[in-house]
Amino acid sequence: MMTSSSHPASALSGRTAIAGIGETDYTRGSDRSVLQLVLGASMDAIRDAGLTPDDIDGVIPPPGFVAWDEIAAHLGIKNVRYTATPQMGGASPTAALLSAAMAVSAGIATSVLVPIGWNGFSAIRPKPGARPSKRRFTAAFFETVRNFYAPYGLRSAPWWYSLYLQRYVDLYDVPPEAAGAVALACRKHAQLNDRALMRDKPLTMEDYLSSPLITGPLRKLDCCVETDCATAVVVTSIERARDLPHRPVVYLGGAEGHSSPADELVNRPDVLRLGLHDAAPRAFEMAGVTAADMDFLQIYDCFTYVVLLQFEALGLAGPGGAADFVKGGTIDLGGRYPTNTHGGLMSQGHCWGLNHVVEATRQLRGDAGAAQVEGAELGLVTGYGDLGDGSIAILARGDK
Amino acid sequence: MSERPVSKVIGKPDDLNLELFQAIVSGGHMCLQRCGNCGRYSHPPRMYCGNCFSGDYSYPEISGAGTVYSYTVSHHTAEPAWQDELPYLTVVVELDEGPRVVGAATIPDPAAVRIGQRVHVVPEKRTDDFAYFTVVFDEDRTS
Repeated sequence: MMTSSSHPASALSGRTAIAGIGETDYTRGSDRSVLQLVLGASMDAIRDAGLTPDDIDGVIPPPGFVAWDEIAAHLGIKNVRYTATPQMGGASPTAALLSAAMAVSAGIATSVLVPIGWNGFSAIRPKPGARPSKRRFTAAFFETVRNFYAPYGLRSAPWWYSLYLQRYVDLYDVPPEAAGAVALACRKHAQLNDRALMRDKPLTMEDYLSSPLITGPLRKLDCCVETDCATAVVVTSIERARDLPHRPVVYLGGAEGHSSPADELVNRPDVLRLGLHDAAPRAFEMAGVTAADMDFLQIYDCFTYVVLLQFEALGLAGPGGAADFVKGGTIDLGGRYPTNTHGGLMSQGHCWGLNHVVEATRQLRGDAGAAQVEGAELGLVTGYGDLGDGSIAILARGDK
Repeated sequence: MSERPVSKVIGKPDDLNLELFQAIVSGGHMCLQRCGNCGRYSHPPRMYCGNCFSGDYSYPEISGAGTVYSYTVSHHTAEPAWQDELPYLTVVVELDEGPRVVGAATIPDPAAVRIGQRVHVVPEKRTDDFAYFTVVFDEDRTS
């Protein structure tokens, strides 16, 4: 598993580890600013790693709501040697792990903080008297949206992605029950998670199928939950991680990938080819493992149908084959590929997929509680963002 | 919290997108960017041709003929301006020149749309800098 391959990028494989994790509660109705949420999760992750802000010398915040300099200033991080911000929307946190692993394995930084947070619910529904959110998210593809999609009633993600997901459904006769299997697995796993927004709200296939259509093929229950939350992780060298309190979670491999053009959705030669289709084979080669070696999957689940396509991008099913792949409990705890064991963006809450990294870390530490996958040694996390950018991280249980 | 617009979104293009829309509005016909070197059409317009990397281009008129490549039928909207049109149909049209454009279609039964149906994209001037693309199904076109 850890033997080196001839691939040049394998210089990264196994050299770094996730040493600390932090997360706020997942709520709908926050009284705290985004900066407060992010700083709280960051301090928790640094403490969880057994470190102090003096030990952190790299900061890689995903785009949008907080910048590295204010995070460093408020936390008292004084010696910053490396910063970066991936511009990939929801694929950014998992891509940030790759950047952190590069910086640490190359000796540019020793311990890197990757934080993200937002008031995904409250920014658009502020409580009476609450301070308005001034934080804004911008990306280059909004020029495309403003001129070519939004004039036709397509102003946000469900409407943009439906432009290719409807083609996916029509070409392969994907039944709604396939997407429903993803929604149900996430909701089932959330029942085991005290931190999940949808705990104590079980879901049946009948509930799912009677969920109203938003824009075809997406029903309300195909969409993740808008959430106020923050998460953070600390990446450091494998040697240093072995001296810290928790069992290291080893970064075996990772990659990012992009459909072309990345700033526009409908003019790609194949609109069903995601960034992850390109990224996944490179990450598996770097890690020296295959999808079939995974003990669990944490898949970016902004929308159920996007999860189905990612199973195909990972090679777990052929084109149009994800509907068969998810049958029979494959992706449930106890199945062959338990997926989103924390409940995911669908049922734990939407923290840009860094909550998937936090959950993968818990699983590989053996700290996942009632949702623990027995004997979990290898798992992967995917990210998906903007108009289909993809990222992946392959993680392993390290030696203590 | 920003105020919600009461009218539909009007594009406010910059750079090459502005050039494309001004060509469409001034001529009153559908246009597409075409490479001056290899002749390949591109949408949205790009500074350099993705095929031959030439920086020469123009915006010739096209017929607007194409086929349905994908679509979505919206049953819910957060936009007041679209409430009265629910359910509304948005179509991705693959133009006969190759590129695909998004436009709105009004047909009696939006759920009857199928990939591969023949259509025309008809631009309608909204401002000097923006035209709205309406998708007309060929079987519904009357003389």
